[in-house]
Amino acid sequence: MDSNEHAIHRAAIQGDREAFEMIIHSFSRSLFAIAYGILQNREEAEDVVQDSFVKAWKSRWRVRDPEKFPAWLSTIARHRARDVARRRRPEPLPHDLESTELVDSSSEKETADLDGEVHAALAQLPELHRVALTLRYFEELDYATIERTLGVTNGALRGILGRALGVMRKRLKPALASAT
Amino acid sequence: METIHEQIDEFLAADLHGELSTAERDGLHAHLVECAECRQAFQEEKNMHKLLNQTIADKKADHGFEQRMVSRFRDRVPERRGLLGIVANLLRVRAVQLTAVAALLLALAQMGRMITGESATPTRSDITNATVLSELQTDAEKPGARRDFGVLAKTDGRTKGTDMFAQSPLPPAPPPVDTASVNAPKPQTELRSIARPKKAEFKDEKAPTAAANETTEESTATVTGPSANRKLVRNATAELEVVSFDAALQKVTGFAAEEKGYVATTSSEKQANGKLSGEVVVKVLPDNLDRFLQKLRGIGELKNQALTTEDVTKAYFDTESRLKNARLMEQRLIEILKTKSKDVADLLEVEKELGRVRGEIETMQGELKFMDSQVNFATVTITLAEKNMNVPAAFLLKERAQLALYATEVEKTYNDIKALASPKVQITNAQIDRDNTGRVSARLSLLLAPEESEAVIAKVKGMARVENFQVQTERVSQGGDGLGENAKTERDKVELNVTLSHDEQEIALQQTSLRIQTPEVNDKTKQLRAIAEQQNGRIRSSSFSRDPNGREYANVSLRVPMKNYNALMQSLNALGKVENVSVRRDDRPNSQTDEANAPADLTIQVYSQGNIVSEETGIWVTLRRTIGQGAAALMWSARMIGVAIAFLAPWVLAIAGVGWVARRVSRARRAAKQRAEEENGAN
Repeated sequence: MDSNEHAIHRAAIQGDREAFEMIIHSFSRSLFAIAYGILQNREEAEDVVQDSFVKAWKSRWRVRDPEKFPAWLSTIARHRARDVARRRRPEPLPHDLESTELVDSSSEKETADLDGEVHAALAQLPELHRVALTLRYFEELDYATIERTLGVTNGALRGILGRALGVMRKRLKPALASAT
Repeated sequence: METIHEQIDEFLAADLHGELSTAERDGLHAHLVECAECRQAFQEEKNMHKLLNQTIADKKADHGFEQRMVSRFRDRVPERRGLLGIVANLLRVRAVQLTAVAALLLALAQMGRMITGESATPTRSDITNATVLSELQTDAEKPGARRDFGVLAKTDGRTKGTDMFAQSPLPPAPPPVDTASVNAPKPQTELRSIARPKKAEFKDEKAPTAAANETTEESTATVTGPSANRKLVRNATAELEVVSFDAALQKVTGFAAEEKGYVATTSSEKQANGKLSGEVVVKVLPDNLDRFLQKLRGIGELKNQALTTEDVTKAYFDTESRLKNARLMEQRLIEILKTKSKDVADLLEVEKELGRVRGEIETMQGELKFMDSQVNFATVTITLAEKNMNVPAAFLLKERAQLALYATEVEKTYNDIKALASPKVQITNAQIDRDNTGRVSARLSLLLAPEESEAVIAKVKGMARVENFQVQTERVSQGGDGLGENAKTERDKVELNVTLSHDEQEIALQQTSLRIQTPEVNDKTKQLRAIAEQQNGRIRSSSFSRDPNGREYANVSLRVPMKNYNALMQSLNALGKVENVSVRRDDRPNSQTDEANAPADLTIQVYSQGNIVSEETGIWVTLRRTIGQGAAALMWSARMIGVAIAFLAPWVLAIAGVGWVARRVSRARRAAKQRAEEENGAN
């Protein structure tokens, strides 16, 4: 993080609205990616991003270290998205399994519906993996930035993304075969 | 390349995302050439990557997304401006928060104190005193401190004997150790520093000439007690009150003879009231001093007695030993003169030295004799005074008179009084005040010769109505206090203070209020004025009003002399129906006012009946009253809420604080759990 960014974060924490709006500008996309990764619904994700910024503004004085501002923002967004998901699906796990089974069975018939299959496969990944994938494929961010955003330690992201892609690949094997 | 094969997923993903280092990429491609399985996986991974780019990438945020976020943020969080915004921002700062909470608690505490009626701030001196005391106590309780005191006491004991030799006038005895420890911690150290130099002094003193002498002195002094072998100068003073000075002097002389002493000097003085007082100095033997003082008590009433002892031992023995040395020197010189007299110059030198030494010897002998005489006889200074020294010689009668007058024309009366001035009637102060409402008052101070005073006061009293007259007589004794039976009494000049005020201000002797009901208010009021004038009355104020119901009111207040009061009341009956008469009379039993001319006030309301329906009923009045009561009830409840908040606020604050901490803890715990879950998921 360069010093300019650092200064902006500090100013935002101290209540500078302009600085905070700059932060909204630069982080809204990655927050959207995170929210989408968890919720897989654009409208909901957008709302989550919106709520997250409002919440962040109201409790900005809790951040002591401007360095951790991006990670803090993404934590807020993840919590918020999780809340939304929980409210939407009271028992996420069984329902999830059921739906994927349904999708699986249907995918054999409707091979063209790749989009749905990809999403179904995505939904079965652990949350962190999903979020990492969306961050990468939405915004093409480099690994270092994603790590900083998600607050994971140095080098862990490579394993996460590798495993996520590997799982996806194995799950979508038939569809992949038919697609190519 | 075992590791690449094992971690093939990672490597493939990183390769496609362009996050492999050159070495890693080379390693991966080399492995792909070798391993068919991984090649297959690589192909699939590439497809997967493509697929994801196709499917997911179009779900990403659209172009206007950031701008939308910013504008929605602006809508949802309106910018706070002005003071409120500044305060809100300030409150975000941790330090300010803490300060605010502290200030709030302080304010609550202060309020509580005010409610419970404690003094708001404990007096500062109380606190400091308390802390100092506690420090002292702890200091005293420390074993080290106690040991210090012990050392102090010991050094004191050791130096006591030597002190007497160290300085001829005894230094004030060091204060007892306990008081030193109680007074303050500081003196402790001072004391110690005093004690040390003393020891050093003692050592220094030991070295020169009379070392042996002194040590023996010390030992005898400590063994045989204080008085033996010491040279003490004792002096006493006594103050006595006696019936007769001469008789007392005789007795003192007798006592002195009995105790083998003598009267050294006497002096006496006669006071203005014929009483004698004087001083007697008696010399007695020191051993008999105490007995002598005891006897003195029989002469009269002992008012004061003091006994001082001065120790001249050191000076005495110093001089004595120096004298001894000088005598030896004299002997030696005489011998030199006798035997070794060859050179005249030497001879002269020796002669001269001999002369100096002899001079010294004489001085020292003189000193010793003087000290002996002082030591041999104690000096008692007796001050004798006859009883009733303070009986006054004469008395002076001081009269002070206060006269308060009500005048119709203040200024005229003021000038009349001023015109009384003559050599026997002096005006010391005259002052007239006129305030902006036209009220006039005056104040005069006069000094009257005693023989003229009664006449003048009577004259002034005749000038206006007397409100109050006071005479204060004071007998001032001259030359002492007490009852002087034979002293004569003289009258001093009389001081007279006159206060003049306008008679409008006089409080009426009788106050009457009444109402007259009549259909034609205006006419009757005019008649009333005429009647008042007839009876020598004065209208003080009047008013007229008409209310919406057609009622008319005329209020007239007037003042008449008491003598005309009854006539006025009689004539009022002619005006209409007199009702609600109330009379109040202020009798002033002890005042000198003449009642006939004292003012009586009347407040008369002339009114008409007006319409039947009064304004005090009807729907609007009821409504207004109801609303008024409702508002009052609301205000009362708001006040009660304020009180309740004052009671509850500390508790709410405390509970909120606990809740906040609990939430923080639980959140931290939840976050930790989640992290753990995520890590499990990741692995």
